Amino acid sequence: MSATPTVRASAAEDDASAVRSRLASPSRLTVLVAVMAVVFCLLAALFGLVPTAQATINGFVAGSYTGLGAIGLTLVLGILKLVNFAHGDLLVAGAYFTILFAWLGLPLPLAMLGAMVATAALALVTEKIVWQPLRQAKAGTLQLFLSAIGLGLVIRFSVQFFAGSQVRTLGANVVDSIALGPLRLGTLQAVALLVGLAAMLLVGLALRFTGIGKEMRAFADNRALAEVSGIDTQHVINMTWIVSGFLAGLAGILYATAIGSFNPNFGLTLLLSLFAATVLGGIGNAYGALVGGLVIGLSQEWSTLMFNARWKPAVGFALLILMLLFMPQGIFGRKKRGS
Amino acid sequence: MTAEPILEVANAVKSFDGLTAVAGASFTVEKGSITALIGPNGAGKTTMFDLLSGFAKPDSGAIRFAGQPITGKAPHRIARLGLVRTFQLTRVLAGMSVIDNMLLAAPRQPGQHLYSLLTAPRHANAAEDKARDAALSLLETFGLRSKAADYAGALSGGQRKLLEIARALMTEPSMVLLDEPMAGVNPTLGHTILDHIASLRQSNGTSFLFVEHDMDVVMNRADRIVVMAQGRVISMGTPEQIRADAAVIEAYLGGPAPEAKP
Amino acid sequence: MSVDFWINVGVLAGIYGIFTLGLQLNAGFTGLLNFGQAGFMAIGAYSIGILVVDHGWSLWLALPAAVLLACLASVVVGISSLRLRSDHFAIATIAFAEIVRYTLQNAAFSGGNQGILGFDDEWRAASGWMLSKLGAFGLGGYTQLPLLLVVWLSFVALLLALQGLQRTGWGRVLRAIREDEDATAALGKNVLSYKLQSLGLAAALAAIAGFFVALNVTYLYPTVFDPTFTFFGYAILVLGGFASYGGVAIGSLVFWALLEGTRLIDASLSAGQQASLRFIIVGLFLLLLSRLRPQGLLGNVNEMKVRP
Repeated sequence: MSATPTVRASAAEDDASAVRSRLASPSRLTVLVAVMAVVFCLLAALFGLVPTAQATINGFVAGSYTGLGAIGLTLVLGILKLVNFAHGDLLVAGAYFTILFAWLGLPLPLAMLGAMVATAALALVTEKIVWQPLRQAKAGTLQLFLSAIGLGLVIRFSVQFFAGSQVRTLGANVVDSIALGPLRLGTLQAVALLVGLAAMLLVGLALRFTGIGKEMRAFADNRALAEVSGIDTQHVINMTWIVSGFLAGLAGILYATAIGSFNPNFGLTLLLSLFAATVLGGIGNAYGALVGGLVIGLSQEWSTLMFNARWKPAVGFALLILMLLFMPQGIFGRKKRGS
Repeated sequence: MTAEPILEVANAVKSFDGLTAVAGASFTVEKGSITALIGPNGAGKTTMFDLLSGFAKPDSGAIRFAGQPITGKAPHRIARLGLVRTFQLTRVLAGMSVIDNMLLAAPRQPGQHLYSLLTAPRHANAAEDKARDAALSLLETFGLRSKAADYAGALSGGQRKLLEIARALMTEPSMVLLDEPMAGVNPTLGHTILDHIASLRQSNGTSFLFVEHDMDVVMNRADRIVVMAQGRVISMGTPEQIRADAAVIEAYLGGPAPEAKP
Repeated sequence: MSVDFWINVGVLAGIYGIFTLGLQLNAGFTGLLNFGQAGFMAIGAYSIGILVVDHGWSLWLALPAAVLLACLASVVVGISSLRLRSDHFAIATIAFAEIVRYTLQNAAFSGGNQGILGFDDEWRAASGWMLSKLGAFGLGGYTQLPLLLVVWLSFVALLLALQGLQRTGWGRVLRAIREDEDATAALGKNVLSYKLQSLGLAAALAAIAGFFVALNVTYLYPTVFDPTFTFFGYAILVLGGFASYGGVAIGSLVFWALLEGTRLIDASLSAGQQASLRFIIVGLFLLLLSRLRPQGLLGNVNEMKVRP
């Protein structure tokens, strides 16, 4: 009842009203940063500066893998209108490809790079054997949902079949830490943080300045318009999967590095945080996903100041539900026609 | 014909995303009349239908139907009051049979409510039998009787249009909003639809408001015409009055923005 | 031994049949993509466990109370999320199921990962009595046979009741909502109310399934109600067919026979690998069926929304 028939009848018209990048309102970003800063000050006043700063650093680490993981989810959702429930399992694949390549004898950094490439390849393979045929068959929403869920199960439990369900590490030194004044940061976490922030910056620049980046954003904004303007559809879709898979691999590795130990089930729980980042940033908005990821990561880590750390994932779920209920268009999105 | 209004719209405003689709439109529809709503593309006709039927809420302004305010009411509440709409792109329930499409629309069916279904199943059956008779006779009128058992998705475009109108009439409405009832229908069938409308007005006193682009149809079939342009009502009156109205001609020929008339 | 194995398959097929009837009502007949069914099942089962063990209720009183509580939860979920777009609703219900599982795993009242034990004395007494009667037919040795009978009696009764409901005007409104909710609202039907009723009934069915799961495993812990089990339900649904309650029974039997049948394959796999293999098979089911036969074995292709 809240949605009008016009909304559904004219999705294209709908998109046309949102052609411009939805992050075109710096004022909202400013407001968001201000809100986060106020929350930080409040927390520092309540729980002390050092624990709050520590939680904030942890939050940036969590935010980097959440944001990078969410980019693929939001691009696929925006470009292919596909809710990819298997996306969390691509992160799992990234972590376990690293273990596989390290076991085969590659040095860890190379194994990680190989894992990202392998995850990108895996994502492209799923496009070729699952998604492209389903699109051609004009599959309905439920068919797509069930295929995504099925694909997720196949990936996750194939990993578990070969690697077992026991807790693993990437085999790097997880004990070393760096002291920054009174703050402690695991060396691996520091690496994850630096790599994560650098990757976020690079991805942002690539989306902004490379041809394919622009094409992807144009596609996510308004597919009909992008197609009319002569962009090669299948090429953009292929690239979307490659980018999505590569960043999912990276995010999985960052998660594995920062958390230290993991099992093949982390994908589903993390997926809900990724959805939260996606919705927060506005569906199809890659920059929004990065910002959304940081907000989710910070919220989760800040929550540990107030609650037991085991409730961290619940904060992600709660934020997801609240966003869906009250701001389904995201913090940068504008209200659509009739809603 | 009495001049008693069944529908009154006062200063309705609706904008989307900064774009004003309806900008303070006011008009009335007389009870028992067949009124056409016309205007160039983008005049706000479909948005007006959404406002009247509750699918969009006006930003400001008031809408009254049969003396009651209906501004911002939910679509199903407005429909239950007797104001029923059809859609510009037909929306038959493709995965259901033609007769099920009709029975769905029957008002006051105890069989449609879990509580009365469980407490008085026989009553529910009796009401449904009665509704079935009414549905079959309406389908007969619209030439769809032989299709009653078919899936609505298997009907032709024109037949879907007929089914949608028949289904709207099944609700026993006192007023029907028809969004381009002739669009996509061959002219012969279109005139059959209009004949049905005229005879229903005659027999039941049902009021009709319809959007139409074909001026011949509008001039020949409507008692009264409401003209919208750029979100406003620029003229109202009988076909003769509208034909002679300079503002209307200007709006259609794309002249300077017309002033709203009181 | 082998008979006991197949009795167990029958019990699982019956329990998940009841569970999937709710999904059929939602997805197949109302067009609601409810992915939180495992959450409602967990709420039902844990309500029974807590009411019996912590509050000394009778098991037979706890069952209707649990059904009611699950319905209540569905109203809370429904009122907040049913206005959302269908894909957002699906995501919100998955999040709901994760919250339920997460809470049960971490909260004090649910026993955390230790779970809840000792709520089924009354059932065991009843089951023992039934076994003594079955002994007259030489069937007294099959300890799970009473559960099989009760589960399937309930399943068939619920299936027939739902089939009957679907033929009424009420069922017609649900199908209309599945086809086009705006057109349905335009005809004077309160769409939100019908969706809530559909979701509430599905939650009630999930709670009943949860009751039987509890009797079957005799011990409640969070992983029994992992959200993944909702996906099992959907696998049964696509296998049996959309918009067909009979299909749920066929689908559930075939699904569990195939799934449990993998245990009989003597392929020198570790227990963990065998468990993984089962999930891979479920995943392949979902992938292949949605691709090759989206309407399922008994489903009606005319009632499948295949619009993109």
